[in-house]
Amino acid sequence: MNDVPGFPLRVVDGLTLPPEYRKALRPGEEWKDATGRNRQLPRYFYEVPSWDSAMKVELAGHFLLWEFIQVDVREAPPLRTFPRYVPCAVTLLAVCLERFREAVGTFVHISANGGYRSPSHRFSRNATPHAWGTAANVYRIGDTYLDNRSAIERFSLIARETLPGIWTRPYGQPTGYAEDHLHLDLGYVLSVPRDVKS
Amino acid sequence: MLRAQIEAIEKESGAKAISVALYDADSGFELHYNADRWYHAASTIKVPILLGVFAAIDRGDLLPHSRVHVRNRFLSVVEGVPFRVESGRDANSAVHNAIGKMMRVDELAYHMITTSSNLATNLLLGVIGPDSVNETLRELDLDDGLELRRGVEDELAFEHQINNRVTADGLLRVLVMLAEGKAFSPALSRRMMDILHGQEFNQGIPARLPKGARVAHKTGEISTIAHDAGVIYLPKRKPYALVILSEWDPTTTGRSRTIASISHAIYEFLAPGAAR
Repeated sequence: MNDVPGFPLRVVDGLTLPPEYRKALRPGEEWKDATGRNRQLPRYFYEVPSWDSAMKVELAGHFLLWEFIQVDVREAPPLRTFPRYVPCAVTLLAVCLERFREAVGTFVHISANGGYRSPSHRFSRNATPHAWGTAANVYRIGDTYLDNRSAIERFSLIARETLPGIWTRPYGQPTGYAEDHLHLDLGYVLSVPRDVKS
Repeated sequence: MLRAQIEAIEKESGAKAISVALYDADSGFELHYNADRWYHAASTIKVPILLGVFAAIDRGDLLPHSRVHVRNRFLSVVEGVPFRVESGRDANSAVHNAIGKMMRVDELAYHMITTSSNLATNLLLGVIGPDSVNETLRELDLDDGLELRRGVEDELAFEHQINNRVTADGLLRVLVMLAEGKAFSPALSRRMMDILHGQEFNQGIPARLPKGARVAHKTGEISTIAHDAGVIYLPKRKPYALVILSEWDPTTTGRSRTIASISHAIYEFLAPGAAR
């Protein structure tokens, strides 16, 4: 549909994709979050033609695209093969994670299923910013595994101090908490590249 | 005569109970010694789970190279309370080292059996679901003598006495089906047998067999339980399937030795001199 100057991936309008993709991605549809509020799902996506390109496309200085699109067998089948589609807002998340990485001074690892996952992913019970491409589950920072209260709360504080407006999931076991990773997200951000004609 | 030998070994061992089920494809000989007694399955339940994984592959729901997120967080069947698998209980660290990343279904299946990885087991069960495994067992007419109710290391379930259970006859039927190549297809049966051949814990059934014997098997051990279930291949004869289940006081020793003695007695009865 569109090319973004200087960026190697094509922008596509999800509403023009073949039916199996539209069914899985639900572009532009409303979806209720855990509190019952309607959220509008992304409509515009970057098309990722191959794993090779995902391994090459740099979204920020220390983050390549592949890190944001690792999904396992629980993702909807059409979205486990290439071409893959990732909401355009993923670039904002990458920039935030780059700032976070600067603050912690070491590698920040996003877990499998911890970047973008579609509304059809088996983990997606309610609207979650993961389906907007604006959430990351970080399971490891440098050599530290984020599987305990101390590590999660320490890095959560750094994230909140570094990234104004970022939301981090509190440590704990119940639904809405996290005990084996640091979840951080920008909320339900929709990114509409300026050249799209909608 | 064989039954008397097993009785003598049992008496000498101090075990609370021993069960043996045997089927020799070469002679047609069968032995069912206390073989309908129920036991805590321990890790022998991983054989029916392996069957459930390959049923999903057979249906096309999974591919051997399908990827699974390695995450050490599971929900107990009791009130959905989260729990983790202790890394020290798995014999090798390969699966624990992949936390946060992904592993292939066939890799997880291999670790589930050969090093009895509890983490791999719960990950696979998380993908296919216990209901799917039980449905597979029903479809294959293998549900008599096998009860899968939960994943492994679900301590809260254990405290509530919600456990996976097996009988020697139940496990024997699975092994015979695998050995005969009748589980889904000869090719898939062979792949499961190949995984069982990779077993790294060999202190039970194989321990006193001659070097030429090849054993595809799965062990299971907790504080009060020691099991071994496998198919024994010897040169120039058809294989025999053997299941030895046992229950013990937590302080009693000599479990592996007892299983090895029973296995040896059966070998001497069925195929004396073979594979020496």
